[in-house]
Amino acid sequence: MRRRPMVWVGLLLGVGLLGWYFWPRTAPPPPVAEPPPPHPSSPRIVFAERSVPIPEDNPQTPAKVALGRKLFYDPRLSKDNTIACASCHRPEFAFSDGGKPVSTGIFGRQGIRNAPTLTNVGFRRHLFWEGRSPRLELQAVGPLTAHDEMGLEPEELAQRLQAIPEYAQAFREVFGEPPSLRAVTYAIAAFERTLLSYDSPFDRYQAGDDQALSPAALRGMELFLSEKGDCFHCHVGTDFTDDEPRNTALYTVYKDIGLARATGKDEDVGKFKTPTLRNVALTAPYMHDGSIRTLREVVQHYNRGGEPNLNADALIRPLGLTDQEVDDLVAFLEALTDTSFITNPALLPPGGKGSTP
Amino acid sequence: MNRWFLSLVPLLLTGVMAAPVELKINLRIGDQPMQFGQTYQTPQGQRYQIDMLKFYISDLALVRPDGSEVKVDGLVLADFKRDAPTQGVSVVKMDVPAGQYRGIRFNVGVPRELNHLDAATQQLPLGVNSGMYWAWNPGYIFYRLEGRALLPEGSPKWVIHMGTDTFRLPVRLHDLQTRRVQINIPSGGGSILLNLDVAKAFEPGPGGVFLDWRKQSLRQLHGLGPETALLMSVVYFNMQSAFSLAQ
Repeated sequence: MRRRPMVWVGLLLGVGLLGWYFWPRTAPPPPVAEPPPPHPSSPRIVFAERSVPIPEDNPQTPAKVALGRKLFYDPRLSKDNTIACASCHRPEFAFSDGGKPVSTGIFGRQGIRNAPTLTNVGFRRHLFWEGRSPRLELQAVGPLTAHDEMGLEPEELAQRLQAIPEYAQAFREVFGEPPSLRAVTYAIAAFERTLLSYDSPFDRYQAGDDQALSPAALRGMELFLSEKGDCFHCHVGTDFTDDEPRNTALYTVYKDIGLARATGKDEDVGKFKTPTLRNVALTAPYMHDGSIRTLREVVQHYNRGGEPNLNADALIRPLGLTDQEVDDLVAFLEALTDTSFITNPALLPPGGKGSTP
Repeated sequence: MNRWFLSLVPLLLTGVMAAPVELKINLRIGDQPMQFGQTYQTPQGQRYQIDMLKFYISDLALVRPDGSEVKVDGLVLADFKRDAPTQGVSVVKMDVPAGQYRGIRFNVGVPRELNHLDAATQQLPLGVNSGMYWAWNPGYIFYRLEGRALLPEGSPKWVIHMGTDTFRLPVRLHDLQTRRVQINIPSGGGSILLNLDVAKAFEPGPGGVFLDWRKQSLRQLHGLGPETALLMSVVYFNMQSAFSLAQ
């Protein structure tokens, strides 16, 4: 007897709930994902619809990118105030070192390697010629602290930037903390993720412009992507790189042993990361040590099959390309040049005075 | 009431017996106190000065007479600065039970499980602000010694950056067999004083090889290049006897 009212209450509640559930109502519109506003420095993307992966702990903000850009062009980030990132990554050479085989750091100290282009560097999974650095933030520690590049200890760098009021304020605004090596690398990495290039003749061809590539470049493209030219196995994907270390039989005995310097393994001697080929015509000279002056000579190196080397990549072999075919390949490589990349004002020094410090 | 009190006894005892202990280090060149900026000479007659010394200490433990260990958690970056003292410098503070010990052991280096995490997000004493992160070879420099060689042609800088998991340096300063090592920690606490003979790094290796700073390739000892790999091992081997108990 005492249970009865409870049963009724339960039934009523159940009916009410069912009614509420099935009552017809207007469905809320599905949430529309607002596309993020394009970054002011982002170039027009002609073909490749993809966005730079942004690490969760370093979101892009306009203020951070602006700070990174300022730091990138500032030689005060080096021990003797002469070397900025941009000293060896010069925008007019697609952020490589303008004809120099190896770069010169503080106090005129010579490095041992060719400064690579920063074209689309935000997409690279492995950094440095060994390919051992996993992210831009950590890569930047190398040149900032290396004794033959910029050569500052973390404490020294922090004190120096703290003493420059506009930096002290900018770091407080962007990171909520005083300048530090860590924060510097985060800002520079944010700027580097805006170094995007997608407007080469090749990109325009891909987007449907039949006139974008010359007949020679078109023949070169076919060769590039064929087993005969066999460039595409390593220079693969939108940026023409697999990001993997490989031995290209440049020497029989390597003075700079590449990846083995880190791993100590014999089979890693002479392995260097496959570089991107975007803007490659702007980034001479070539190879890890800048030892080959022209693109044609690089293609000839691969055509010959390189020097005898036990670690040579399995794909390295004499290719038997005719002179005409070598010229065609070079024509295709030259069609990967995006002149808008090197003139994009958002990527040039802030304040616009000169392009290189 | 009685049982309640008894259950607290172990707690109270450990509380009473834990004594604050400092691990202190004297920097030495041979048996002389090391001073920054002073000129020394290697066994091969090369003159040099020391500019900087930083190293990690981890996996620290005191060893009891029965061979059991009192482990001290944590990772410490010992940082000897140019304008700071070099003798009796406190590098680790710990709380251990008072009593007799037969020695101490630790590693110079960062434990493997911390050595390859994302350094961009690690905090001091790790992380890039430590000045010990190796950008081209992810992981940390374990032992970082830098200075100048005073050569007839000038005073070039040289560096010894010892790192990678293979070069984590075990320091074992305990002896259970003899009574040679006696560390007594009174209940009021105390300190353990070590000598670090920095010049051990410059002693010759097999066949008389040594860090010849006249060769430019040996002024940057940090990778496993063909010229440096052997010397890296020589320095590592020599460093195994660089630490000793001072008392």
